Amino acid sequence: MADTAIIDTHALTKRYGSVLALDGLDVHIPPAAVGLLGANGSGKSTMIKLLLGLITPTAGAASMLGMDVARETLRIRQRVGYMPESDCLPLDVTAADFVAHMAEMSGIPARAARQRANDVLYQVGVDEERYRLIRGFSTGMKQRVKLAQAIVHDPILVFLDEPTNGMDPQGRDDMLSLITRVHRQMGMSVVLSSHLLEDVERTCDWVVMVNNGRKIIDGNINTLMRGGSDVIVRIDGDTHAFAQRLQSHGFETRLSGADIIISIAEAAPDDRLFDAVRDAAVDMNVPLRALRPRERSLEDVYIETVSDANADQPVDVAIGAGTGTEVSADAA
Amino acid sequence: MQPEQSTSGGGAGAGTRAYGEVYDLGYRHFEGERAGRGASILALIIYSIKRGLGIKKRWTAKIAPILLHIAAYTPAIIAAGIMAFVSTDEPVFTYGDLNEIIAVILFIWAGALGPAMLCDDRRENVLGLYFSRPITRSDYLLAKVAAMGILMSTIALGPGILLFFANVLLADSPLSYFGEHIDDLGRIIAAGGLTAIYLSAIALAIAAYTNRTGVATAIFIAGLTVLMGIGNALYEVMDGTPASYVIFLSIGDLTQAFGEWVLGERTTLVMAELQGGVYAVGMIITAAIAGAIMYRRYQVDT
Repeated sequence: MADTAIIDTHALTKRYGSVLALDGLDVHIPPAAVGLLGANGSGKSTMIKLLLGLITPTAGAASMLGMDVARETLRIRQRVGYMPESDCLPLDVTAADFVAHMAEMSGIPARAARQRANDVLYQVGVDEERYRLIRGFSTGMKQRVKLAQAIVHDPILVFLDEPTNGMDPQGRDDMLSLITRVHRQMGMSVVLSSHLLEDVERTCDWVVMVNNGRKIIDGNINTLMRGGSDVIVRIDGDTHAFAQRLQSHGFETRLSGADIIISIAEAAPDDRLFDAVRDAAVDMNVPLRALRPRERSLEDVYIETVSDANADQPVDVAIGAGTGTEVSADAA
Repeated sequence: MQPEQSTSGGGAGAGTRAYGEVYDLGYRHFEGERAGRGASILALIIYSIKRGLGIKKRWTAKIAPILLHIAAYTPAIIAAGIMAFVSTDEPVFTYGDLNEIIAVILFIWAGALGPAMLCDDRRENVLGLYFSRPITRSDYLLAKVAAMGILMSTIALGPGILLFFANVLLADSPLSYFGEHIDDLGRIIAAGGLTAIYLSAIALAIAAYTNRTGVATAIFIAGLTVLMGIGNALYEVMDGTPASYVIFLSIGDLTQAFGEWVLGERTTLVMAELQGGVYAVGMIITAAIAGAIMYRRYQVDT
């Protein structure tokens, strides 16, 4: 993993006075669309700023794109893009001028910078408006310009810090589609920092969950969501009797609506389970409607892992107003 | 994507084929050569100069730079015009006269420019974007100082140089006049240059500590004007050697005394009791301290 990691940190720590913002973070992130998931104040933005060299670590080390963050900061920055969470655009400049300037700042020659600014603004959906002052832009348009300046120099890796913050549902949907395009069509690795589970689940294929400055879990999202390896059985018939039949064969079952959920202790169900289900269906003469592995949502994964990792600090998963499920850590 | 041919109806005559081409506007990677850190700094210098002059900003942002440049260049242009059409042995304007006028304009220009260089980037949170680019914090400040220096020079040096070359061109023998008076050009550059550096450093140091352009300008102009008043008042009540150094509180008197010394003019300032070199050293030390204050401010994590 370390050989192919696009980001590699070892005991990365950042302390602000008495506040420990990042506590010995060890992550190995592959080239992918990566969700950096955690509650507000969990250390996501601190991690990004440390990796970009905007702040200096209290302890630990990190490398990006195979280069040491502390020693080769400027080389790294040539190939990395950054879209901050906060407003960061000058208001009395046109989008085209500003994005072209940012391209030049990243080492793109002036003429190519102007061309790339126009191309990238078109790609993010700011076309004719690019010659207007940013002052007159909506929040969604400003977010697009922020994304454009982050990718205008054709980086290998782009950090997006809460890119859907403050956007309406339609704008959020558009932004998530754009982020997916940035990774899949433009070929850039993406680190998406968010406290919105749905944003990460929709756009990313890898996730790093952080809580109180510590990594609590990381891995491929599909693997994590499959992690329970439970099996769902649905039949047309007496589900209670069917479940009891399976229990008599030594399987742990529970009912969830019309489904029978069979808990599997091992990493994956074996043939013994499938044989038992088939035999029960034949013996009871009931049609088998479904037999599939049960997928957990990212929300399930988050709740389970954060609760386990930090029992004295309950984790609250709340539904945000029109913005999807968000995670927040309530202080005990 | 291959161009596509298509036929269409519409008003075209029989047998006419409309031709359309569809181009793939997909994302293209940058395959050219990437310039280094120096190019990034140069890009920031050019961008900052444009911002300082109000180029590609709203028309109101252009008013102050235009008016100040008109005010700075008008005396030199009038002097050159008079010399061209009126035969006179005495110079219409000496370099010292011009320096005195320009010092006031330069003071206002520094008060307007310093905040424009630094405050906007801080207030609009653009610093995070700059510092995520391949430049250091020191590079950022270097670019801002260079841009400010270039813009200040347009007023600090431009009119004096214009007057010098007007004198050269209107002389009976321009080439010999140039050779005989080349030291005047050096004096103009020295006087204007150090004054520009001195005022720039103070303006930038103040601008580094506030996000509001108006506040920084007000502190620079009002604050230094009040200091001048205090300096003059102290000079009235103090005696002896300490009174001679009160001029360092009065920036207007200090820059005038320095300019007159460099340009070889006889000073009329009662406060100007020290050797000219002392003024220069004092201005350099002040500029260095202001620069250190500004540098320190930008080394803090953002």
